Amino acid sequence: MERGLLLERGPVDGGVEKEEWMELLSGHHVGRAEMNKLIMNYLVTEGFKESAEKFRLESGIQPSIDLNELDDRIKIREEIQNGNIESAITMVNNLHPELLDNDRYLYFHLQQQHLIELIRDGRVEAALDYAQTHLAERGEENPSILSELERTLALLAFEEPEKSPFGDLLLLCQRQKVASELNAAILETDATPKLANLLKLLLWSQEELDKKKIRYPRMTDIATGTIEAPK
Amino acid sequence: MLFASMEIDDQGGWFDTLHSDEPEKWQDALLWLKNSVIGNNKQKQNAINHGIIPRLLQWLVDGDAPQHLRLEAAIIMGSMAKGTAENINTLVEEGCVSVLLKGLKSPDQAFVESCLRCLRTIFLHNSNCGSLIYQEPSIVEDLVEIMPRSVCTQECVANILASSCKEPEHQSKLCECGLIPKLVDLLAGKVYKVQMPVLKCLAGIVRENGENCVVALTAMHNNVPLPDMLVQLMLRDRTSEMQIVAAKVLAYLCGGGALAPQDPRIISKTLPCLIRMCSRDRTLEENVEGAETLAYLLEQDGELQRVAAVSDHIIKTLAEYLKYTDVQQINRCGKRIDINWGIEMKQAAFKAFAALGANEESIRKQVIETEHLMEYVVVGLNSGNMKVAAAAIRCLHSLSRSVQLLRTTIQDHGVWKPLMKIIQEGPEELLPVASSTLCNLLLEFSPSKECILDCGAISVLVNLAARPEPNLRLNGIWGLMNLTFQVEQKVKTKVVESIGTERLFRLLSDPDANIVMKTLGLLRNLLSNKLHIDHIMGMYGNQIMQAVVFILEGEHPIQVKEQTLCILANVADGDKAKDLIMGNEDMLKKLMNYMQYQPDVSLQIAAVACISNLIWSGEDGACARQAKLSEMGVQTLLQKLLSTTDTVLFEKVRTAVQQFS
Repeated sequence: MERGLLLERGPVDGGVEKEEWMELLSGHHVGRAEMNKLIMNYLVTEGFKESAEKFRLESGIQPSIDLNELDDRIKIREEIQNGNIESAITMVNNLHPELLDNDRYLYFHLQQQHLIELIRDGRVEAALDYAQTHLAERGEENPSILSELERTLALLAFEEPEKSPFGDLLLLCQRQKVASELNAAILETDATPKLANLLKLLLWSQEELDKKKIRYPRMTDIATGTIEAPK
Repeated sequence: MLFASMEIDDQGGWFDTLHSDEPEKWQDALLWLKNSVIGNNKQKQNAINHGIIPRLLQWLVDGDAPQHLRLEAAIIMGSMAKGTAENINTLVEEGCVSVLLKGLKSPDQAFVESCLRCLRTIFLHNSNCGSLIYQEPSIVEDLVEIMPRSVCTQECVANILASSCKEPEHQSKLCECGLIPKLVDLLAGKVYKVQMPVLKCLAGIVRENGENCVVALTAMHNNVPLPDMLVQLMLRDRTSEMQIVAAKVLAYLCGGGALAPQDPRIISKTLPCLIRMCSRDRTLEENVEGAETLAYLLEQDGELQRVAAVSDHIIKTLAEYLKYTDVQQINRCGKRIDINWGIEMKQAAFKAFAALGANEESIRKQVIETEHLMEYVVVGLNSGNMKVAAAAIRCLHSLSRSVQLLRTTIQDHGVWKPLMKIIQEGPEELLPVASSTLCNLLLEFSPSKECILDCGAISVLVNLAARPEPNLRLNGIWGLMNLTFQVEQKVKTKVVESIGTERLFRLLSDPDANIVMKTLGLLRNLLSNKLHIDHIMGMYGNQIMQAVVFILEGEHPIQVKEQTLCILANVADGDKAKDLIMGNEDMLKKLMNYMQYQPDVSLQIAAVACISNLIWSGEDGACARQAKLSEMGVQTLLQKLLSTTDTVLFEKVRTAVQQFS
C-alpha cells in the first residue's frame, strides 16, 4: 500500500475543497493485485465457494485455504439461514466438538434463534418448554444475557409478535447475524474480511476529523463511494 | 430431529440404551449424548448421575471396541471436562487420566487428538494432575513424540506439559526427553494458540533450574537463539499475555544464571516490558503478574534495581496498587472464580518494593517517603491474610536495611506488635525474614525500645537463639546484640537472665563463626559502661573469664579472637572487674603474647587497649597494677612497640606508655 495522503499544512480551519481532494485521491494508485487479494479474502471469509473458484480462475489469485474446507461452513450457514438451528448445532458438534462448550455466549445465540423459530411457527408450548429446559442454565452462567432472553420470551406475549416492539428478532436478517457469528467462531481468527476492516478505518477517520471540526469532502455512501463537497 | 422435542423423562431411554446389550443402538445413543452435553453443564451432571463415566471408560479401555464408538466416547469425555470443577474432579477420581494417556498409543490420529483435547482441558483446570504423566516412563516420551504432528497435538501437548513441570525432577525429565529444542521450533511456527502454551511450558521448565536454563539459552531455530526469539515476542505489537510470558521466560533465564543482568536483552528489553505491564492501562491480572515477575527479576542485580527505580514512575505506579479493594468474579467456561484483587495487588506491590529497595539506600528512601506507603505496610503486617502479611514483611525487611529512615514509622505506626505476632504465631517459612527484620529494626535506638520490650522481644530472641537452624540462631543472638547496645542496666540484666549463661557459652562454641562473633558482640555490649561492667562481672565474672580463656586457647578466626580481646579490654575498664584479670597470671601472659602477635596488627591493638585500661593512672590501685605489669615486662614491651609503623597501634601504645607515671 502506498503511504497515506500528504496534505499541505494549511491553517486547520481552512479545510480542503472537493476538487483539490479528488485531485489528491486520483494521484494514489492501488494495485490490481492488491484489489484482487481483498476480493478473494472477502469471498473465502464469507463462504462463497463457487464465486471464489471462478475468481481464482479469472484473476489467478490463490485463495489462502483449500476451498473444499468451505463446504462445511457453507452447509452450516445454509441450515441456519433456513431456520434449521438444531441441525446446524449437530453439524457444528460433529466438526468442532469444543466450540460450543468454549463459547457459551455463541451457544446461547444459537439456542435463542431456535427459540425464535419455534415462536415463528406458533409452537408456544414447545417454545416455553425449550426456554425452561435449555435457556435457563445460560442465564445462570451469564446473567448479562438475561435481558436478551427476556426480549425473546416477550414475543410470546403478543398475538402478532412480528408487530411487537421486539419484532426485529423475527426478521430473517437475525438468522444472518447468528450465521455470521458462528462462521466467525469457526474461523477462529479475526473473521472480518479485510475489506470490511478498511471501510471501518475509513469511517473512523472521518469521525476523528469531524471531532476536530475540520472541513473536508466526506464519503457519504460507502456502497457507491459517493464523495460530497464540504458545506 | 433426535432431541428437538425430547422430554426430560425420555432421556432415561437413551441412558438405558447406552448401558444395554444392544450394540447396534449405541452409535445413535452416543450421538444423542454428545449433543445433549455439549454446552450444557446440567446435562453433563445428569449424565454423570446416570453413571456415564465408567461406561465411557469401558469403550476407551477396550482396544477392540469399534473405533467410531471409542472416538465418540473420547469426544464426550472431552465435553464433560468442560463442565464445572466438580465434573473435572469426578473425571480424575474415576481414573480417566490414565485411560486417556493409554489411548495415546492408538494409531488412529483422530482418536489420539480427541484424547489429547480431553487431557489438555483436565490438566489446565485441575492442579492435582501435575505428576500423573510421570507415573510411567514412556508417557512423557510418547507425548513429546506426538507433539509435532498437527496444530491440535502441538497445542494440547504443550498445555499438558506446561501444567506438569512444577517439580525439579519433572523439569529434568522433560529436558532429558529433548523437549526444549522441539518447543523452540514450535515457537517459531507463528501459530498463536500454539505459541502461548509453548511459552508457558518453557517458563515452567527453566524456572529455578540452572541446567535447563543453559539448554534453553543455546537452543536455536534457523540460527536464531531462543532469547532473541523471545525479545521479538515482547514487542508492543504482540498481545499483552504473550509479552508477559516471554518476559517471564527471559527473567527466569536471568535468575537461573544463563543470561547476565547486564545483557541488553534483559536490561533493555525484558525490564521495560515488565514495567509496562504494571501501568494503569493494563488489566489487573497483567498488573499482578507483571509486578511479581518484576520483583523476581530485580532481586538478581543492583543495576536492574537502579534502572527500574527511575523508569516510568514505577514507585508511584506500584503505590497505586495498594489502594485496590475489590473482589471480582471471573467467568471461565461456566466456572466462576472469585479473586480478591485487593489482596493480589497489595502482595504483588509489596514484593516489587522489597526487590526494588534490596540494595540501594536512595531507592529505599524514595519508597519510604511515598505517601501512605508505610501505613499500608503496617496494615499489611496486621492483615489476617498470610499472603499479604508475608509480602509486607519482605517489604519491611528490605526497607529495614535503612533503619534510620524508618524512625518515624517505627514510632508512629507500631510495627512491633504485628512483627512479634508473625514471629511467634506465623508460618515457619516467614521466620528467617521476620527475625532478620526485627534485628535490623532493633538497631534504631529510639525511645520506643520500651515498647519492644513490652512486646516480649527478649524471650522471642532467646527462643530463636536456641533453634537448631543456624540462620535462626544467628538472628536470635544478633537481635539480642542490637538490643543491648547502649541500653539500661536493668535491660542488660534481664537479657542475661533470660538467655542464661549456659546457653550463652554454648553459643560461644557454635560451629558457625558468625554466631560466635555476634555472641561476643553481645557480651561486649553487655560489658560497656563502667557501672554495668562491675555489676555483671560481679554475678558472672568466673564464667565470662572461663569463656574468654576457652576462645583464646581454641582454634578460631582472627576476628573472633580480636572480639574476645576487646571484651577483655572492657572487663579491664571495670573498677572491680580489673582484679579478675590482674589475678590471673596466665591471662596476663597471654596478653603479652598478643601484644607481639604478627602479622595481624588488630590483635596487638586490642591487647594494648586492654593493658591500657588495666594501668590507667588516677584510678584506685593503679600504682600497684603498673608495678606488677612492669615487673612482668609489659612496660619494656610497650616501649619496643613504639617503633611500630601502624598509626592506630602507635597511638594506643603511646597512650599506654603515658600511663606509666
